[in-house]
Amino acid sequence: MTTVETTKTAALEKGTAKGQSVPRKEDRRLVEGQGTFVDDIKRHGMGYLHFVRSPYAHAKLGSIDVSAALELPGVYGTLTGDEVAILTDPFFQIAAPPGAAVKDYALAVGKVRYVGEPVVAVVAETRELARDAAELVEVNYEPLPVLVDARKGQDADAPILHEDCEGNVSYSGVWEWGDLDAAFAEADHVVKISELHFDRFNSTPLETNGALVEFNRGTGQWTIHTNNQFPGFAAIMMGPAMRVGLDKLRIVTQDIGGGFGNKITSHPQLVVCCLLARKLKRAIQWTEWRTDFHQSMSHGNERWFHDTEVAVKADGTLLGFRTKALDDAGAYLRYEPLGGVIWAQVAPGLYRWRNIRLEFTQVMTNKAPVSPNRGYSRMQHLWLTERIIDIVAHELGFDPVEIRKKNYVQPEQMPYETPNGCVYDSGDYPRALDIALDLVGYSGLEERRAEAASRGKLLGLGIGLTLDSGTNNFGQSQLINPDLQFSGNNEVATVKLDIFGEVVVTLGTTPQGQGHETTASQVVADIIGCDVDTVHVRVGHDSYWNSHAGFSGTYASQFAVTGLGAVKGASDMLAVEMKKLASMVFQCSPDDIELADGFARIKGNPEAALPFMALGAIVNANNAGFPEDPPTLNCRFVYRPPFDVPDKETKKGQLTLTYATQIHACIVEVDPETGVYEIVDYAAVDDCGTRINPQIVEGQVMGATAHAIGAAMWETFAYDEDGNLLTPNFYDYHVPHAMDMPPLKTGSIESPSPFTSLGTKGMGEGGGGGIHCVCAALQDALRASGGAIVYDSHNPYHRVWEMLQDPGPSRANVEVSAT
Amino acid sequence: MSEPTTSRTVTVTINGTMVEREVATSKLLVHFLRDDLDLTGTHIGCDTGNCGACTVQVGGEAVKSCMMLAVQADGLDVTTVEGLAGDSGVLTPLQRSFGEHHALQCGYCTPGMLMSATALLEHTPHPTEDEVKVALQGNICRCTGYWNIVEAVVAAGKSGSA
Amino acid sequence: MLLREVEYARPASIDEAIRLLAEHDGARALAGGQTLVNVMKARAASPDVLVDLADLAELRTISFSADQSALEIGAMVTSSQIVGSSEVEVARPILAEVASTIADLQVRNRGTIGGNICVNDPTNHFPPLLVALGASMTIQGRDGERTVSAEEFFLGVYFTAVGEGELLTRISVPTRSAGTGDAMTGITLGAHGTYIVSAAASVGSVGVRIAIGCVSSVPERATAMEQQLVGGDYSDAAVKAAAAGLGASLDPPSDVHAAADYRRHLAEVSAVRAVLQAAERARG
Ligand SMILES: Cc1cc2nc3c(=O)[nH]c(=O)nc-3n(C[C@H](O)[C@H](O)[C@H](O)COP(=O)(O)OP(=O)(O)OC[C@H]3O[C@@H](n4cnc5c(N)ncnc54)[C@H](O)[C@@H]3O)c2cc1C
Ligand code: FES
Ligand code: FES
Repeated sequence: MTTVETTKTAALEKGTAKGQSVPRKEDRRLVEGQGTFVDDIKRHGMGYLHFVRSPYAHAKLGSIDVSAALELPGVYGTLTGDEVAILTDPFFQIAAPPGAAVKDYALAVGKVRYVGEPVVAVVAETRELARDAAELVEVNYEPLPVLVDARKGQDADAPILHEDCEGNVSYSGVWEWGDLDAAFAEADHVVKISELHFDRFNSTPLETNGALVEFNRGTGQWTIHTNNQFPGFAAIMMGPAMRVGLDKLRIVTQDIGGGFGNKITSHPQLVVCCLLARKLKRAIQWTEWRTDFHQSMSHGNERWFHDTEVAVKADGTLLGFRTKALDDAGAYLRYEPLGGVIWAQVAPGLYRWRNIRLEFTQVMTNKAPVSPNRGYSRMQHLWLTERIIDIVAHELGFDPVEIRKKNYVQPEQMPYETPNGCVYDSGDYPRALDIALDLVGYSGLEERRAEAASRGKLLGLGIGLTLDSGTNNFGQSQLINPDLQFSGNNEVATVKLDIFGEVVVTLGTTPQGQGHETTASQVVADIIGCDVDTVHVRVGHDSYWNSHAGFSGTYASQFAVTGLGAVKGASDMLAVEMKKLASMVFQCSPDDIELADGFARIKGNPEAALPFMALGAIVNANNAGFPEDPPTLNCRFVYRPPFDVPDKETKKGQLTLTYATQIHACIVEVDPETGVYEIVDYAAVDDCGTRINPQIVEGQVMGATAHAIGAAMWETFAYDEDGNLLTPNFYDYHVPHAMDMPPLKTGSIESPSPFTSLGTKGMGEGGGGGIHCVCAALQDALRASGGAIVYDSHNPYHRVWEMLQDPGPSRANVEVSAT
Repeated sequence: MSEPTTSRTVTVTINGTMVEREVATSKLLVHFLRDDLDLTGTHIGCDTGNCGACTVQVGGEAVKSCMMLAVQADGLDVTTVEGLAGDSGVLTPLQRSFGEHHALQCGYCTPGMLMSATALLEHTPHPTEDEVKVALQGNICRCTGYWNIVEAVVAAGKSGSA
Repeated sequence: MLLREVEYARPASIDEAIRLLAEHDGARALAGGQTLVNVMKARAASPDVLVDLADLAELRTISFSADQSALEIGAMVTSSQIVGSSEVEVARPILAEVASTIADLQVRNRGTIGGNICVNDPTNHFPPLLVALGASMTIQGRDGERTVSAEEFFLGVYFTAVGEGELLTRISVPTRSAGTGDAMTGITLGAHGTYIVSAAASVGSVGVRIAIGCVSSVPERATAMEQQLVGGDYSDAAVKAAAAGLGASLDPPSDVHAAADYRRHLAEVSAVRAVLQAAERARG
């Protein structure tokens, strides 16, 4: 049974579009099959691109012979790494030394470093032919030893991926706040956990990456139709590498079939398309295949936590922890090592401990490059903090609910400054937890446990949280590389009133299902006094529109703050201009004008009303004899959150603006004979401040929940010792299907953010809550059968069975000492 | 007598219109629809027949058009998402229900979902939640977690015909 | 996603299909295409000629043998057809029960029982089931027909008794008599997903037949376990005792979904569960 129950606690504002679940504007075209996704775009004479990819995880590249491919009728041309090395410079590296020395090109140069790495590009008249020709390309590889396990990356005999880096470490740093020695001296118990592992997976959007790229020889400009979700980032990676200014790169997006962060780092492939469009004088079409996506695109960060020590008082008060994080970046640093700082946005999780030390080391391996994935880098860290809580509770005999409530940051402490200077803006974690527990049927837990036992099943309850830090301060990048010149954040919107009174909105964002056209319309409609249906939001991003800035895109839970902040700013400006224009016509003060129902009218005199169409026509088409300084009715606003650069010495500062939370709780039943388990109840309670469109918010919570359940139970990017991906398709990489989903109950509370103009908080990433609570529930269930400690984020049936068979190894992972 | 060839003329009735084309025998139905006929509502989400984004109806049954050659559709009726509302532009109750229940986010899986669910509603006009899940088991959605999709199909069944 | 060039023919009769298969090197029968087209997309195999069986109506029927002792299922019968068949419901309902859990509706609408067993993927549903049910397969070539038992039929992955230039035409499954009960169970990757281990059992008057899937390249008969159960004691304890040692007798593969040891264990658990359920059904 699927139950969706929403506990509505916030009153909706009456008569306004905001806060209502208005139908999505996007839906009509999408249910009719009339969306425009990147593979739908065609051009006369376009050539289809197919990549020849490396079958080796690590090899020296010898000679490459494309002649047989070129001879095939219908083949337009090829591109090799040698050409790329001449035509472009390596991509800019975010890392400071040693990672700074990585040389990353659009195609492999000199060496290949993971299975599936693009080596040669072939372009032909048809998709089939491009693939046929690719098979004729001869590449000589000289295989090298392979590094798969990041834990061996610093061994003396470890194969070295990037010789220029003199080792495999891309970034390392120590992050310490508070007084660890004092905390451990004060502690009554120290709980030590020798190793925890957060697994490698990603959100696998249903649409893979792609592009249709045209080159205009007259102007030297490329038009790049793509589904890249962060064009601002793609442009600053591509421009310098291609030795062109950003005005030469027109990036256009339309409908995007899911992103989840996995479509941020397609810039290498886009560069290949650009070079070929210029070389072959024709439009280039590239659509990534599912297998290619799995093998090469944007895996989530795999992370180990070693030698974790937790300082706990006898009454359950958590004082602090120290740990060593080992992050596996894969073969190239495409967005990394930003994962080395992003976790710090949520350093203490939801808890009040003030003493934290984390030694972060990131290692490169012969696996697909990692890049952002829903919940990027925070999910791994929050999993650690939740694991710590449940392991401490398990070992010291605390109730997992009580120890959470005791240590949660309390609502009256909001806004709460964390030990590293981040500010949790608002929230009520204990209340959200109570609602989640209620929805999942916590009060009857022990009876249910007994009833399940009578059927031979082990039942367990688990709690997990997501702290969805949104609206990045890009200044945090300077904490891993002090020389970087990034800080703050921005997003742009333009709102204009056109001749016939149409309200037209352009955004810099690149939505992939988050309904920006709808929520932006809601905000605009309320401010300028019109119906949501009369607001036209242009689909997608186009860098020709002048409605973008350096950080434009859709990523990292920020639209409700940055995007809508920009929309609100531009709408406020337009409202002022409209009132001014109407006041000129009516010869009154702008203060006497109100905007409502599609009219600018004199307050208290409904007869004196100008329809929007009249305002639009006057400015745009009937302006002779108009007074000086007329309004333009075309307003551009750049939203910029109020950030300072964090302190590089203390590593303290406000890393993000808002903190949405989700508390997840679930109940699992384990079959002790096989390790097979089922989630029998699930609840997710969301608090993302003011909700513009509750239905869209709930949809995001559901999606994040499904991703987390998939990652907890089935989804893993597993490699063999030769560096072959064992799960390169949806057979072996099983994602949840309709019948796999547990019954879900959702609830919500609204704690408006004091830091944003609409009270909203970014949300949508919400990664991980389900992973944490499934781990906790399994550990709770296994308590009655050997008491294994759950040490991995990914728990397929065989791992659960192993923990049941022999809980010893997992238990040996944990040690408790009194001080 | 039928001797092997590498291309054939096929006659297919697509969304009610008869189409006659010469196609390569190696061409998949999904590429015939998308590339040759410009019916780009039918999507591709995998290489292995798992995802269902390419689902269309052939001869009244839901099938995955990436595991069928275009020549295998010769002489058959094919319905794609573009054929649901048809030229009238009036959405089916199922299409409306998807919007009402927020059963789509990015919309990439949606055409396939609609085709599977339409086939279900034709056979089983008032499906239960479990019947809906079974009918949609071959369609992957990465955005919604399925709950709203299942709800939308059940509701469309309650509201009457597909 | 893209196939190599391939020749295609669509014969109107079985004889013509056999002639085409025999005359062309590298010719392959095309049934539902739910495996073959995928294999060709991956270019893991590239037949030169496809002989589409779609128009062979006589391969699409489900009927009874002359003496009513067997259900005769044409090779081109789809899983969906089996699920909806009244003959199957009466004569051997386990076939429909199992068919209804294969993959998903779209795959069942096109995938055929003939294709399913000719592929003989170790994770497929029908091979172990048909071994447990004591089915037989009829193969037709230029020289006429022959019939082999299910155990003789399965020779390896993608390798069966169907030789070059031959066609599997039908599968005969003994009809259920009073006192028989069938069951199939196992562990899958997600609901209706790929089997990690499967077990099928059929309890009848002469004892029980048990076949295990996913543990080798062909369905494995659990003969020792069958022997121990000849006495007809299908109590919990007896069945569990009979299964002891089954795992150790197997040499299953290790892969990303299960290590060999886990498969051995699951084989025992699944065999026990299948036999217990089959026995319960046999009791009626
Ligand atoms: C996503 C997905 C998941 C699946 N999961 C499962 C599963 O969990 N369990 C399961 O049992 N099945 C599964 N299948 C397989 C499916 O059920 C079909 O049984 C299978 O694809 C083969 O049947 P087909 O009719 O499609 O054969 P085809 O693909 O057309 O043919 C397969 C092979 O058999 C040969 N062949 C077919 N018919 C004959 C004949 N009459 N005589 C001689 N040779 C013949 C062909 O030449 C070819 O080599 C899955 C398929 C897909 C796409
Ligand atoms: S494209 Fe995935 S099943 Fe057809
Ligand atoms: S709505 Fe995006 S895949 Fe379903």
